[in-house]
Amino acid sequence: MSTLVFIDLNKSKISESSAQAATIANQLDDKVYGLTTYNDDDYISSLGNKGFDKVFKIDDFKNFDAIKETIINHKINTIVSPNINLFKELASKISIKLNFSITSNVLEIVDNNSIISSIFTGKAESQINFDNENRIYLLNKNIIDSKEFDKKVDIIRIDSKISQKDNFEILDQTLIEEDISLNDADIVISAGRGLKGPENWKMIEELAKKLNAATACSKPVSDAGWRPHHEHVGQTGLKISPKIYFAIGISGAIQHLAGVNSSKTIIVINNDPDAPFFKAADYGIVGDAFEVIPKIINSLS
Amino acid sequence: MKILVCISCVPDTTSKISFTEENKFNSENVQFIIGPYEDYALARAVELKEKNSDIDISLLNVGLSQNDPLLRKGLAIGADRAYRINSEPNDSNFVALNIADFIKKNNFDLILMGKESIDYNSGLVHYLSGSILDFQTFNPVIFLDLDTDNRVIIKRETDSGIEKIKANLPLILGCQEPIAEWKIPNMRGIMNARSKDLLVIEPISVSSSLKYEKFTLPPEKDEIKYIDKENIETLINELKLKNL
Repeated sequence: MSTLVFIDLNKSKISESSAQAATIANQLDDKVYGLTTYNDDDYISSLGNKGFDKVFKIDDFKNFDAIKETIINHKINTIVSPNINLFKELASKISIKLNFSITSNVLEIVDNNSIISSIFTGKAESQINFDNENRIYLLNKNIIDSKEFDKKVDIIRIDSKISQKDNFEILDQTLIEEDISLNDADIVISAGRGLKGPENWKMIEELAKKLNAATACSKPVSDAGWRPHHEHVGQTGLKISPKIYFAIGISGAIQHLAGVNSSKTIIVINNDPDAPFFKAADYGIVGDAFEVIPKIINSLS
Repeated sequence: MKILVCISCVPDTTSKISFTEENKFNSENVQFIIGPYEDYALARAVELKEKNSDIDISLLNVGLSQNDPLLRKGLAIGADRAYRINSEPNDSNFVALNIADFIKKNNFDLILMGKESIDYNSGLVHYLSGSILDFQTFNPVIFLDLDTDNRVIIKRETDSGIEKIKANLPLILGCQEPIAEWKIPNMRGIMNARSKDLLVIEPISVSSSLKYEKFTLPPEKDEIKYIDKENIETLINELKLKNL
């Protein structure tokens, strides 16, 4: 029986989430397979250092019949994947058509029979036990640091034709113009209403640039149109778990915390010492953002 | 056009989560609401119906009778009838199989759900239902409008941006703000809701392959460390020490 990892790309490189999935897969199995739509054989060959023994190349994740055949032919019974929509859709199809048990928001694989999953938007956890040999684990980000391996990759091309025609047509695509995607960032700089207006985000962007971080915001800020909606993190926005989360001028309502509480380290900067966010923080600075942020930028230079 | 809106009934977003000694969710003092994402989905369906009276909206929940007041609320917001599949929503697979079975028996053109329920957060029920029925599924959808010839225009967020799509029906959509503004029922809606049907259906049996065995609260955070704003370097050094 073997273990397959879905490989997501970020700027023509394996995403950190997929590398972490491969590290977990190596804890479960000696031989780890990957599935990618990437076409650069030189780069794929280098993925031995992320823990892959074999990588299947396919034109499109929508080629379900070819993926199904690969899973059956190579006796794949465990799938480990980043918890992103592209792979959730594919994983759901595999779960239904090939009878795999599927769980998302996985925080830890306890043993052969059980995992820990994050529930109630990070406010609780549950142990889930399986009664099925076939499983799909959709992992939360940063539940482990990815490791380096010394493996040789066998590349296998899967010939495939799309069996079904799409019943939709993409009219237009708008790409988000940001250097670092919020989902994949190790560091996130997030700001709230305490910044008083959209014109004050310059220093946030500058700090983000210094730290190679993504920018985010609270719900009132995206509701007011100060920042684009896709930057909204919280219970009804994006849920993130970066290594460091800076919360600047965000009071820390329970709905906001729910979206960021699984961040590894939380740094709160607020001029109100009673802001509830301090209760959830690892580090706190009581002070005016307009005074503190330039100081941080300065000390990083 | 027949629209089905599937709703979850979940603890209010401000709820404190706890579990009883018997390892069950502690619902004492917890206010339940229509899941915020499904609330957006329902609001958008009602907006479409306001522009086009041919639209018929059914509401569906997998849950026990304590959810009936929330289904009545959905009727007051503007759904035409409600169905409740009479079972605890055991897991995503169970819910999806029951929803898909209901859709097969009742034919809908457009099925709206939330991006995810905010209790178990798996965000899979739309994709799983779509896989069972072989219906195209999009998630998360932030814009929905009707086009001509039984087609719809939607916008969905992807990992790299936003796609505008023209799609044929039938379709399953996982909805998210800003697809619509939440609606609050008015007095007339509340009066009307009393005479609308709320039908209870028994679930199909599903052999479950996973079990929520044990609930715990996340580990407590360590005490916060305050950094003096005059001594920002301390923060930078702390982060370096932790290899961050």
